[in-house]
Amino acid sequence: MRLRFIAKLSLLHLLRSWRTTVVLSFMVIFAVGALVFLAALAIGTNDAMIRNSIGLFSGHISGTNILPGSDTSLLQVEGVEHVLRRTEHRFLLWTDDIFETVLLMGVDPVQEKQSTVLWKKSVAGRYLLAGEEAIFINQETASRLQVEVGGQVKLGSRPGEVLKTFTVIGIYHTGISQLDQGLAFCPVEVFPKPDSPINVAVFLHYGTPTKTVVERYRELMPSATFKDWPEFMPDLKQLIDLNFVCMAIVMILVFVLVSVGISCAFLIFTLRNMREHGILKAMGILPVDTALLLVTQIAFLTIFAALIGEIAGIAAVALFSESGIDLTTLTSHNQYFSVSGVIYPRLTLASLLPSPLLAVFFGLAAAVWPAIYIIRKSPADILRSV
Amino acid sequence: MLEIFSVCKQYTSGRGHITALTDISFSVAKGQSFTLAGKSGSGKTTLLNCLGALEQPDGGRILYNGQDICSMSSRQRAYFQRRDIGFVFQTANLLPWLTVAENLMLPLELNSIYGKKQKGRIEELLACFDLVGYEKAMPGEMSGGENQRIAFARAIAHKPALILADEPTSSLDSVTGYNLIELILSLCDVQGSTLVVATHDPELIELTNNRLYLKDGRIEAAT
Repeated sequence: MRLRFIAKLSLLHLLRSWRTTVVLSFMVIFAVGALVFLAALAIGTNDAMIRNSIGLFSGHISGTNILPGSDTSLLQVEGVEHVLRRTEHRFLLWTDDIFETVLLMGVDPVQEKQSTVLWKKSVAGRYLLAGEEAIFINQETASRLQVEVGGQVKLGSRPGEVLKTFTVIGIYHTGISQLDQGLAFCPVEVFPKPDSPINVAVFLHYGTPTKTVVERYRELMPSATFKDWPEFMPDLKQLIDLNFVCMAIVMILVFVLVSVGISCAFLIFTLRNMREHGILKAMGILPVDTALLLVTQIAFLTIFAALIGEIAGIAAVALFSESGIDLTTLTSHNQYFSVSGVIYPRLTLASLLPSPLLAVFFGLAAAVWPAIYIIRKSPADILRSV
Repeated sequence: MLEIFSVCKQYTSGRGHITALTDISFSVAKGQSFTLAGKSGSGKTTLLNCLGALEQPDGGRILYNGQDICSMSSRQRAYFQRRDIGFVFQTANLLPWLTVAENLMLPLELNSIYGKKQKGRIEELLACFDLVGYEKAMPGEMSGGENQRIAFARAIAHKPALILADEPTSSLDSVTGYNLIELILSLCDVQGSTLVVATHDPELIELTNNRLYLKDGRIEAAT
């Protein structure tokens, strides 16, 4: 029998048994659509954790031990959005007889506000303005020094040696221990020791691979240390890997459940039409053509339904990719969501391909047993049994 | 044309071991009309299925034009069925999702009759079986008699040498059944086809040239 004729028979069967086709298709469409959305949501969750973690302060790449006076504009290579230069030195900070050691960072407040969101984490007062003799300190240090916004703090290298007196302009709290302990900020223009070492926070354009930029930086400044976020935030890297594995397990479980459903539904669909295959066989259709007819029917149905499901999944992702899904109530105390609990689902090949491919695979797998049954049984047996 | 030697067939079912056919031997000449007569359970359908290679006998030989159909491979059997056999079942057994014309097209497609030749043959069959205007109708929209007419038309569409009909009129009223068999007999005459009918309808039995009476899977009489 000609392949074209087999395809025609399959299509006619699906179109004219449209109720069954619609029900079976709906199941596949829903399953594929839901799985595409789930996978996109998982990727979006990881994106949110990375975005929150790097956007708060550190950037995608952190550079330390950069020699004072180095030209950090060299670091503005292809793919880099912003390079934030920070001068740092460890000082003593005191009020009356209470002393605290802090790592003071001299920053450009305008640039910092453009690229990071640490300023948004103020719990009292406001963020720094360029050139003002003010300090922005963490809540824990402020509490130990018993100082509030508007209060004065002295700064020096050792007790009694006052290098600068700052007004506390703002107090922040991030929920991240590295940032909430022993760190303070002042405008770079009023930094007491301008010849201190420099560090940089580098923000990349979306999609730029961090490793490539880090390698380039190591060539440009061999004496400095550059690390990308997976290196300096191994906990986040591990969490994202763990999230991927967990999501993969969930997806596999969902796939298995959905696939069993798809397989059973197709099996029922095929068994219901068993008599017709018996008739065709009695008319002299070759066993291979019988199997081909069965497989073509299921292939057409699953491919069509998977395609619609894929479009439905993409549409659902598109619906939320701009506005995002606000999970702030579930993430407000989580350090990886310290800036925002909004998740923007994102599509990748990994979220687009597996669902339709598996739906088609399991649909076709469901055709194997009935095909073997039809091939092996005599037409008389098939017609007698149904 | 058809020579049957010592054919026997047994089944195992819920009712136990059933002997459907025992030592059946007869022959049917080309162009003959032949009846397999007998009550229900006498083995008519099983014998007809064996003649059409729809199932294999447990013993004996069935020669079609000298070739043993029992020793054919599944591929050879399929080609034999599509080329040389036209089968009419007790019920019409049409494909419910194909129109009347598409059901008639099936055996033609299987025998590589395409295009104008196919279209012409379908028109011829529709006219012959008084089905003109029903080309696009679905089997579900037709009466039982009309469906059985389509089934007959489908069985002879590719002009097979052997037409096997299993109780073809059992679901029809006697007049319709009689007229249909008369039509088939005349078409077989024109085409030179051999007709083997399994029936217990006395009127139908009288219409055919030769008869074989079966009882409990054995030949009771032959006329």
